[in-house]
Amino acid sequence: MSVVDLRLAHASHETLEFFWNGRPLLGRRGESLATALLANGVRTLAWSRKSHRPLGYSGNYVSGVLARVNGIPNVRLDLQPVSAGAQVQMQNCWPSPGFDLLRLSRLIPAGWIQGGFEHTNLVPSGSALFQRWEALLAFLAGVAEPAERAGEVAVPTARYLSADVLVVGAGPSGCAAANEAAQAGRSVVLVTRGQGLARYAQAAGRGVPSLDERVQLVTGVEVFGAYREGELLLAAPHDPAQGALVLEAQQVILASGRRACPPVVPGMWLPGVMEARTALIMAHEQAVAPGTRVVVVGSGDEEAVARRLRELGVNVVAARSISDLRCVAGRGQVRAAVFAKPVVCDAVVHAGPWLTDASLTFQSRAEGLLQLREARVTPFRIVGAAAEADQSLPVAARSRYKSLLCPCFDVSCAEVEELLAQGIRDLEVIKRLTSCGMGPCQGQPCWDSLRALVSARSGIALADLPRPTLRPPRRALSVAQAAGLADVVAPLQ
Amino acid sequence: MNTVKLLPAKASIIIVGAGIQGLALAFNLAELGVRDILVLDAGYWQGGASGRNGTLIRGAFSSPEWTRFFAHSCHLWQGLSKRLGENVMYSRRGYTMVGERQSTAELLDRTLEVHKTCGIHSMLLTPTRLREVLPALAHERVSAALHLPDSGVAPHHAAMYAYRQACEACGVSIHYRTEVTAIDQSAGRVCGVRVGEERIASDTLVLAGGAQSNHLAQLAGVPLDGYPMRLEAMALEPTRPLIGPAVALLDRLCYMHQTARGEVVGGAEVAERPQHTLNADVPVMAATARAYLEMFPQLGHARILRQWAGLVHISKDFGPLLGAHWQLPGLFVSAGWCYGHAGAPAAGELLAKAIVSGDVDERMRPFAVDRFERNLPVVEPGIVLSHFE
Repeated sequence: MSVVDLRLAHASHETLEFFWNGRPLLGRRGESLATALLANGVRTLAWSRKSHRPLGYSGNYVSGVLARVNGIPNVRLDLQPVSAGAQVQMQNCWPSPGFDLLRLSRLIPAGWIQGGFEHTNLVPSGSALFQRWEALLAFLAGVAEPAERAGEVAVPTARYLSADVLVVGAGPSGCAAANEAAQAGRSVVLVTRGQGLARYAQAAGRGVPSLDERVQLVTGVEVFGAYREGELLLAAPHDPAQGALVLEAQQVILASGRRACPPVVPGMWLPGVMEARTALIMAHEQAVAPGTRVVVVGSGDEEAVARRLRELGVNVVAARSISDLRCVAGRGQVRAAVFAKPVVCDAVVHAGPWLTDASLTFQSRAEGLLQLREARVTPFRIVGAAAEADQSLPVAARSRYKSLLCPCFDVSCAEVEELLAQGIRDLEVIKRLTSCGMGPCQGQPCWDSLRALVSARSGIALADLPRPTLRPPRRALSVAQAAGLADVVAPLQ
Repeated sequence: MNTVKLLPAKASIIIVGAGIQGLALAFNLAELGVRDILVLDAGYWQGGASGRNGTLIRGAFSSPEWTRFFAHSCHLWQGLSKRLGENVMYSRRGYTMVGERQSTAELLDRTLEVHKTCGIHSMLLTPTRLREVLPALAHERVSAALHLPDSGVAPHHAAMYAYRQACEACGVSIHYRTEVTAIDQSAGRVCGVRVGEERIASDTLVLAGGAQSNHLAQLAGVPLDGYPMRLEAMALEPTRPLIGPAVALLDRLCYMHQTARGEVVGGAEVAERPQHTLNADVPVMAATARAYLEMFPQLGHARILRQWAGLVHISKDFGPLLGAHWQLPGLFVSAGWCYGHAGAPAAGELLAKAIVSGDVDERMRPFAVDRFERNLPVVEPGIVLSHFE
C-alpha cells in the first residue's frame, strides 16, 4: 500500500482523525469514509464473499464499500461522512483484518468456487457432518458479525408527503419538469439523493439550474420502491435514525438520469475502477482524485470527462473508447488498462455504457401474474437522460483472463457459459442457479452484465431477455426505518 | 431446463404445475413404475410459490391431522438428499414457536399434549434453555416457547433442483413456459389437455397449479374450494449466524429464519383484502420489520435487501386439498397449500400411491378434496395465517 496524495488543490484543510482496522488515519471534513480511505491509499475496502477477491470504491458494486462502523455492520462507506474518532473495520476477515486466515481461500482454484448455492453433494443433508458443514458455510457467507447488542433501536416515524406532481431527480431535467409543473399551478415535490440541486451537472462543470420557489425540495433521500402499480413510492434517507418517506402524487416524473455500467471485460471489478459520475462527483465535491494516473474510457463522452477531471486537477493519462478496452490488468488493484497495448495506470474511470436504473418503472408496471401475462406500460413520465435508450454493454471475447459478472458472489462468465452450453438461457433460472445479483447490490449492475453476456454468447436479442425482477428496497431501508412505516401505510382493505 | 422441447401426443399421467408439489408427485409416480409422465407449467422454474416461500419445514402443528401429515413429511425430508441423489440441504436446525400472550402459552401447552399423543419429539423450553437456543431473542417479551428439534429449513432452490434432476433422471418430461389452455373430457372422464393448438391425450390428470388451482378447476369444469392469496416475505442483508433455529412468532403471525447464506428471511401476515398480484406492498414489510426489531433487537440496524410476494391457494381451513376429485373421474388435485414446501415429500408420496393403487393413506384422508362438501373441515389453531374478514 503506497501512500500517495490523491487530494486535489480544493480539498478542505480541516482534518479529522478516524480509525481503519484500529490504525489512525486523517480524513478531511466533507469527505466520505470511502473517499478518505482512498485518499489515504486504502483501495481495498472489502473482500468478495467466496474467493476473497479485493473490492473497492467503484460506484457500481455496493459490496465494495460495506464495512463495520462503530459496531454496526454493513455501513456504506461512500455515504457515511468522515467523523472524528469513527472506528471503521473491514469485514469478511477472520480472526482479524491484520491476520486474516480467510485469505487462504484465494488459493482455491477459481473454477472450484461457484457463485451458486452451496450445492455440493460432498456433504449432503442427512449425513452426520451436514449441520457442521452448514454452520461453516453460514459463517463464511455471513461476511459480517451481527450488530452488538445494545437495546432496542429507536423507530423513526415515517413522513407522508403528497403533491400533484412528484419529480425524482434534481438534475437540469428534473428541475425543468418541476418548474414547468409549478408554473402550471400544480403542487410539486422534488426529491433528490444529493444534498442540493444538480450534483452531477455541477461536478461535470455545467451550471446549477434554477428552481421555482413554489417547488418543495427534499434532499438526501433515495426513492427506492414503487408500490401499488405506481400509486405509492417510498424513499429513505441514508441515516437510519431518520424516518422513511411515503410519497403519493397524481403524476410521477422520473428524471433520475443514467449511470455507467461496467462493461463485461476482465478485471472490471478491481479496486481502482470507478464509474464516471462517482469519480466526477468525488473529485468535485470531495476533492480526491480516483488515482495518480487515470485512464478514462467511454462510449462517446470520454474526452469530455477526461477534460473535466483534468480541470479538477486529476492526472488523466489517456482517454479511449470503451470498445477498445480488452481488459483491466492487476491482481490486488488496477495496474494497467489494456487496449491494443497496455497503458499503465492505477485507476480506470468508465464513462459509459450508460444505462437507466429500471427499478421504479419495473415495479410500477405491476409484476402481473407470473410476470408473463401482463406487460403494462409504466404510468410514470420519464424525462432527460433517463428517457434515452440504454447503451449496449461491450462483452469481451472468451479469454484466459478472469471475467466476473457478479463480484460480490464471485459469479464468473465461465459459470454462466457452462449453463448456456446446457441450453439454459432463462435469466430467472440462471439467477437462481448461480446467485448472480443476489448479493447486496441486488443485480445492479450485474443483471445488466448478465443480460449482455447471455445475449452475446447465445445470439438472443437483448429485448427478448427480460431482466430478472427488480425488487425493492435494495438496502436503501433499515429494519428500524421500515418499522416506522407501519403507522403511515395502511393495508389494502 | 427451459430448452425448447416438443410436446408428446400422449402421456400416462399429466401433472399441471411444475412446482415442488408437481415435481415431488412426478418423482414418486416414476418410482412406482409409472412411465411417460408429463409435467406442464405456465411459468418459469421456481417462478411460483415454490421459489418464493420461506423454506421452513415444520414437522408438527396443533391438530393431530396436521401433525401426523407434516411429521411424516419432515421425516421424509431428512432422508431426501439420499433418495433424490442431490443435496436438498435439509437443515435439521430445530423450529421454535414463540408465544408472547398468556393465551398463546396455553395453546402451546395444549399443542404439546397433541404432540405427545402423536408421538412427536417436542418440548417446552425453560427460560434458561430458551436463552441457549435463541440468545438474541428479547426474552422479556416471551410467555412460552415450544421447540421441535427435528424440524428445520431446506432452501427451495436446492430442493427444486434436486427434484427436477431426479425427475429427469427417471425420464419425467418437464416443460416450463407451457400453459395448459383447455382440459378435454369424454364419456364423463378426463381424456387430455390442450396447450394452445396442441392436444395431449391422457386419462389421468393432476392439478398441482398452486395459486392457479381455481382457474385450472374451471378449465376442467369442476368446483374447487379456496382462493389465491398473496403472502409476502423479505430478506435482510447477510450477517454471520445470529439466529439458530427457524422461528415462528405466533402472536405476530410472523415466521423467520437465518439462511445458510446469512440472510434473515421471513414475513409477518397483515390482514388485507386478498390480492391477486406478485407485487409486494409496504404493510407486510413494516409489520415484519417491527416484529424483528422488537423480538431480535440486534436486527434493528440491518438493511432490507429485497421483499417479494408469492401466491398460495388457501382453502377454507388452510389445509391441503389432496386426492381424487369427487366429480370427475381421472382428475386428481394437490392444492390448498400454504405449507406446501414442507408438505411436498409426503404429499408426493401419498398422492402417488393413491393414484397408482387407489389406496388413500390415513394421514392423507382428512385432507380429502370434498371435505367441505361433507362438512368435515380440519381445525388447525397453530398456523401463522388468517382469513381476511
